[in-house]
Amino acid sequence: MMNEWSGHFRRRDLIRMVAAGAAGAGVASASRSLGFGLAEAAMKGTVNFADIGVGDPGGDWSKFTQATGWGVNLVAFGNAPSQILNVLVSGGGTQVYDIANIVGGMQKPLVENNLIEAIDTSRLPNWRGDTYIHDFLAPGTPGFEFIGYKEKVYGVPTVLQGDSFGYLPDVTGHLDSYEALFNPKWKGYVALEDNFTTAGQKTALYLAKNNLASIKNPADMTPSEIKTVVDFLIEKKKEGQFRVIWTSFEQAVDLLVRREVYVMDCWEPMVFVARKKGVNAEYARPREGYLLWAMAAYIVKNPKRPPEREAAAYGLLDFILGPWYGAKITLLRGYMTNPGAAAYAKSHPSEFNAQDAAEVTRITDNVRSKFQLGGTWQDRWPTHVNDYEAEWARFKAAPSK
Amino acid sequence: MGAVQSSSEQVSGRGVAVSNAIRYGALAIPLLFVVVFFVTPLALTIAVSFWERAGFWIRPAFTVQAYAEFFAGPRFFVLKRSLIVAGLVTALGLALAYPIAYVLALHTRARVSRVVLLLFTVPFVVNYIIRTFSWEYLLGRTGPVNQALLGAGVIHHPLDWLLFTDVSVMIGLVASYMPFMIYPLWVSLAGIDRRLIEASWMLGAAPAWTFLRITLPLSMPGVFAAIIFGFVGSFGESAVPIILGGLGYQLMGNTITSALDVLNYPLAAAMSSVVVVVMLAFLACWYLVFDVRSFLGKIVRWSA
Amino acid sequence: MSSRTTYALAWVYITGILAFLWLPLVPPLLFSLGSGPSPTWHWYAVLWQNPVLVRAIRTSALLGALTGITAPCLALLGAMAVRELRASRAVLMLMLTPLFIPGISMGLGSAFLFHLLGVDPSVWTILAVHILWSLPFALLIILTAMATFDPVYLEAAYVCGANRIRAFLDVELPLIRPGIAGAATFSLILSLNETVRTGLVQGPLNTVQTYIWSTFLQVGLSPDHYALMSLLIVLTLILIFAFPALAGARRGRSEVSPATDA
Repeated sequence: MMNEWSGHFRRRDLIRMVAAGAAGAGVASASRSLGFGLAEAAMKGTVNFADIGVGDPGGDWSKFTQATGWGVNLVAFGNAPSQILNVLVSGGGTQVYDIANIVGGMQKPLVENNLIEAIDTSRLPNWRGDTYIHDFLAPGTPGFEFIGYKEKVYGVPTVLQGDSFGYLPDVTGHLDSYEALFNPKWKGYVALEDNFTTAGQKTALYLAKNNLASIKNPADMTPSEIKTVVDFLIEKKKEGQFRVIWTSFEQAVDLLVRREVYVMDCWEPMVFVARKKGVNAEYARPREGYLLWAMAAYIVKNPKRPPEREAAAYGLLDFILGPWYGAKITLLRGYMTNPGAAAYAKSHPSEFNAQDAAEVTRITDNVRSKFQLGGTWQDRWPTHVNDYEAEWARFKAAPSK
Repeated sequence: MGAVQSSSEQVSGRGVAVSNAIRYGALAIPLLFVVVFFVTPLALTIAVSFWERAGFWIRPAFTVQAYAEFFAGPRFFVLKRSLIVAGLVTALGLALAYPIAYVLALHTRARVSRVVLLLFTVPFVVNYIIRTFSWEYLLGRTGPVNQALLGAGVIHHPLDWLLFTDVSVMIGLVASYMPFMIYPLWVSLAGIDRRLIEASWMLGAAPAWTFLRITLPLSMPGVFAAIIFGFVGSFGESAVPIILGGLGYQLMGNTITSALDVLNYPLAAAMSSVVVVVMLAFLACWYLVFDVRSFLGKIVRWSA
Repeated sequence: MSSRTTYALAWVYITGILAFLWLPLVPPLLFSLGSGPSPTWHWYAVLWQNPVLVRAIRTSALLGALTGITAPCLALLGAMAVRELRASRAVLMLMLTPLFIPGISMGLGSAFLFHLLGVDPSVWTILAVHILWSLPFALLIILTAMATFDPVYLEAAYVCGANRIRAFLDVELPLIRPGIAGAATFSLILSLNETVRTGLVQGPLNTVQTYIWSTFLQVGLSPDHYALMSLLIVLTLILIFAFPALAGARRGRSEVSPATDA
C-alpha cells in the first residue's frame, strides 16, 4: 500500500516536472522560433513589411534600426493580386502588416476595399527630392496610376522599370521589335510570361504600333480588342510558336541560361542573372517602346495601429526612398530606385566597391533612358479585367497543335 | 487482484456512464476539430458560390451564374483534364507502387524494409517546388537526359516532347505522389497473417492464384488508401502544372487561383464546390462497389 | 531457382524506382556548390546569415514537430471513433473530406473563418491548417494498420482481466505502432511541404515553403537555398541510418508483426 502510494506520488511528480519542462521549453523555443530573441526585445518594436521579395536588401535593416530604433520583419508573399487581396482581406493582414510592397497599380481594388491609407507625403522628407516621381509619376500622367488613385497618393514608388523582351544575340542576331516573339523563324523557341497585363499588353502594343489590329489604348482594352489579341495568340500557339508560358523568375532565367528558348518575354533582371551565369543575353530596345511600371509600397489600413508604429512605418517608407536602400536594391535586383542611389554608391566606397557603384550607375542610366523612350504603361487592373482573365484562360486552354 | 477489481468497477452503473462519457468525449475531439475548421469553411465556400459579385466584393444572393460561367467556358475543360490526369497518375502510381510494397512487406526482413521505406521518404524533405523545378532542368532540350540519349547515340536531335507536355506533367506528378502510395500498401500487406498464405499453398494453390484470391483482397484497405492519396494529391496539384506543363497547362488548383486573382469569388467558390462534389461522388461510388466493411473489416465487426 | 531470379529482378526494379525518385535531388546538391567555375562551400555559410530564411526554418521546424505529434493523436482518436461509433461510414467520410477540397479554397475558407472568429494569424492558425490537412492521411494510415490487427488479441486481453484502456495500450498499440509512426512521418512531411493553404493564414510569419515559393516566383533562387535543401537531405539520411542502429538493441514486441518471422 505504501509502495503503491509512493509510486503514484513519484510518478505524478515526474509527470508534472516533465510537463512543466516541456511547456517551458516549448514556450521558449516557440518564442525564439518566432524571432522574439533578446536583440529584438531591445528595440522599440518591429514594422511588419510584406514584400514580394524584391524589396529585401539582403536582410540588412541595420541603418534603419540605428536611425529609428525599430526593426523590420519582412514577410515574403506572392505578387498575384489574389494573394495580396485575400491575405489582406480575409487573412487578417490588415491587423498584421504595416506596409505592403507590391507591383503598383492595385490602388483601385485596395482602396475600394478599404485596405490601404492615403499617404501624407509631407511626412516623407525624401519625397520632394525624388525627381523620378515628378518626372515619371506625376499626377495626370499614366505613371500616376501606379501610386495614386483619384488624385491622392497611396503608394511610395520603390522600384521603376521598363519591360520588353530578352534574347540570345548569338543565335538571333540583333533584335529590335516585339515582332521577334511571333516570328516563325524562332518557332518553338519563344517563351511568354503567364500574365495578361505584361505578355498580353506587349502583344497589344505590338499589334497596335504595327497596324495589325486597331487597338486604341493597349493599356486599357475593350472586350473586343482583347479578343482580337487573344485570337492572334491562339493562332500562334497552334502554329507551335511558343515553347512555354513561364510562371516564375527562376524558370525564366533557366530557360535563357540553358538555351531552351532564344526569345523570351521577360524582365530585365533575368537577363542580368543570365549574364552573371555566363550566357550572352541581351534585353531588347524595341521600336514600339517599353512596358513601363513601378512597384509601390502601401500603408495597410489599420485604425488600431498606435501612432508610434505609424510613425515608424512612415520612417521606413522614407528610408526606402533614401539613397542607401536605393543603391542596395538596384545592385541586388537590377531595377531603378531613386535619384540618390547612384551618387551614394559612388561616394561610399566602404559600402559599395567601385565595380558595384559602376553597376548601379549603369542600371539607373539604362532604365531612365527607357522611360525617356516611352511606350505603354502597364495597367495592372484594367477596366475590363474580368474579360482579360477569361480571355487569357481561353488562350491557356487552347490546344497547341 | 487489482486487475480483477478494475474490471468489476466497470460493471457498476455510474462507472459505466462516466467512462462512456469520457470515451465519447475523447472520440468526439477529432470530429469537432474537423467540423469547426473544415466544415465551416466548406459551407462558406458553397454559400459564396451562389452569391453575386458587387464591385470588388460579394453580396448574398442566389444565382447560379457562377456555375453557368464555369460549365460554359473554357475552364470546364480543365476539370475534365484534371480528372483524366489524376486517374492516370493514380493508376500508374498504383502499378508502380504495389510490387514495391509487396516485395518489402512479404519477402524482406522488417528492419531492411523499414530502412528502404524511409529512403523513399527522403525526397520529400526537399521542397517540392525545387524538386519539380529539378525535373524541368533534367528534361530540357539541353538537359542531362537529352545529353545522355544523344551521347549514347539513341537520338540525333534533342527530344522536345520530354518537357512542357503531358509527359513531363505525368513524370512530375508520379514522382511526387507515387511514394505516398507505397506506404499504405506496405502497411496493409505487412499485416496479412502469413498463415493464410501458407494455408493456401498447403491446399495446393498456385502462387498466382494465392495472390489473386488471398493477398490482393486482404490488401484492399491499403489499395483504397493509396488510391485516395494518389488521386487527391494529383487532382489538386498547383505547382507541377505551371512548372512542367508549359503552354498554359492547368489543373483545377491553377484555374481556381486564376479566378481569385481577379476577385471573382463566386466563380472560384463554384469551381471548388464542383471539385468537392466530384470527389465525394467518386468516394460514394467506391463505397457502393466495394463494401467498405471489407476495409473496416474486423474493425467494425468487432464492435459488438 | 527462378524465385531467386525473380527476387533479384524485384530488387533491381526497386533500386531503379528509387534512383528515379532521387534523380531530382541531384541538381540541388550540384547547385548548392555555387554557380562559379569551381565548387565552393561558401553558400552553406551564407545560408545562416539570411535572417528571413533562418526564422522561416525555425517556424517550419516548430510547425512540423507540432503537426507530427498532434495529427497522429487526433487521427488515432478518429480511428477509434470510426471503429466504435455506429455511423462509422459517415464518420470516416467526414474525416476524409478535407482531402477533397482544393488547397486554395481551403486556405481561403480557413482565413475567412479565423477572420470571423476574430483570431489573428499566428503559429496557431497555421498549425490548425496543417493539422487539418494531415489528419485524413494520418487517419487512413492508422485505419489501414488497424485493419490488419486481429481483435482476437483484444479478446484474449479481456479474458485475462484487462479493461479497455489497458487492453488498448498494452496489446493493440504496440502492434499498430508502425502505423502510428508512419502517420507521424507523413504528418511531418505534409507540414513541411505545405504552401498554398499556409500562404493565406501565415500572417507575419514565413515558413520555408512560403519563403521559397515567393523567392522562386519573383527574384529567383540562389545557391544558399539549394544549400539548405542539401543539408536537409544529408540530415535525413543520417537520421535514417543512425536511428535503427541506436534502436537496434531493443527487441520488443513491436519488432514482431503478426505471424511473420521477423
